[in-house]
This record gives sequence, C-alpha cells and structure tokens, in this order.
Amino acid sequence: MKIQRIKDERLILKNLQNIRVAYVVQTLGILGILGYDYVTKGMEGMIKNPLWFLFIVTTIVLAFLSMNIRVDYESSKKSPERSLLFSVIVLTLICLAFGIFTALSEGFKVMNGVVIGGIIFICGLVPLLFLYGIRKKRND
Amino acid sequence: MDNRLKIARVEMNLTQQELADKVGVTRQTISLIEKGKYNPSLKLCLNICYTLNKTLDEIFWVEKGIARDENTKNQR
Repeated sequence: MKIQRIKDERLILKNLQNIRVAYVVQTLGILGILGYDYVTKGMEGMIKNPLWFLFIVTTIVLAFLSMNIRVDYESSKKSPERSLLFSVIVLTLICLAFGIFTALSEGFKVMNGVVIGGIIFICGLVPLLFLYGIRKKRND
Repeated sequence: MDNRLKIARVEMNLTQQELADKVGVTRQTISLIEKGKYNPSLKLCLNICYTLNKTLDEIFWVEKGIARDENTKNQR
C-alpha cells in the first residue's frame, strides 16, 4: 500500500492529539530521569545532564507559544504600549533590586551587580517585547 | 450533532467510500459525521454540500433548541 499524506481533517486532529500524549509521556520520562539524577547526584549533577537543558528549552518554547493564546483572552481595550511601559517599569525595579543586593553582598563588586541586573533585564525584556509584538498585531 | 447527510448521500446513489473519495477524507470520517459523532469543519461541510448539490441548510441545519441540548449533553 502506498503511504499517502494525511489529508483527512479528523485524522490530522487525531494525530495532533496523539503527539500531545507522546509529549506528556516524554516530559514525564525526562522529569523522572532528572529526578533520579537529583536524588543520586544532587542539584549539580542534575543540571549537568543535557536533558535539563532540553527540558528548560521546551518549557520556554511552550511558554512563548502560550502567550499567543493568552493574548486573545485579554480585553482589547488595553493599549499594548501602556502594558509594555508598565511591565518594563516593574522589570527595571526588580533588576535594580537584584543588582543592588548583589553589589552589596560580600565578595561581590559593583560590576557584578550591574552584570546580574543587566542579564535579568535582557532576559525579562525579550518575552515582554514578544508579548508587545503579539498584542500589536492583534489590535491592528 | 444530528444531520441529514445519509439521506442526501443515498439520494445521490453514493456509497460512503465514494463520497469520502470525492471530498478527500476517509470513509470512517463520513461514517462518524452521519452518526453525529464527529463535528466537521465548515470547509468539509461545504465540500460535502458541493458534492451532493445541496445547501448547508438542507444537510446540516438543526433548530436552536436541539443544538443547545446536544451541546449541554456533550459538556456533561
């Protein structure tokens, strides 16, 4: 029998549901292996496992994709610019707090505080800009 | 969801397989739609209607009360 590309919408949907089940199984497996690593080798050993990196990347991808869905539930009255501004202010305050606490901690210099604050700021800014982009596109 | 797909298909002298081939799905999907166990997309409904020379109303329309009853049944 010739293998055909699935064109039946019901089967495409079914296929996606199967993939979801496989994803759940895979995630549980990864968590199991990481849990085992945590018990036997401790936190350090767990983080060294490449599966940890895979798990974090998958979670981030899922979180970014979920933003697409979450934005649709928001009331359209919210202006994307105001939301972005508000989020950036909150993020800046959090980064400042982290930076100052790091700089004041024993064994750390002011430069360390700036670097830590800067890294957190950039990491926080990316999803905010992504969210802003989606909101902007939805409002157009 | 109740529909009159089976009647319309028999009127056109088509088997489930023939209809399925014409609209580009599998026979099982047609069977499930006829039994009301699968909710087809509007695109598929339109393709079925074009093939059977019927309107959406003639095959898929159900009165509001009946449709709502079915919805609440499905949610339970």
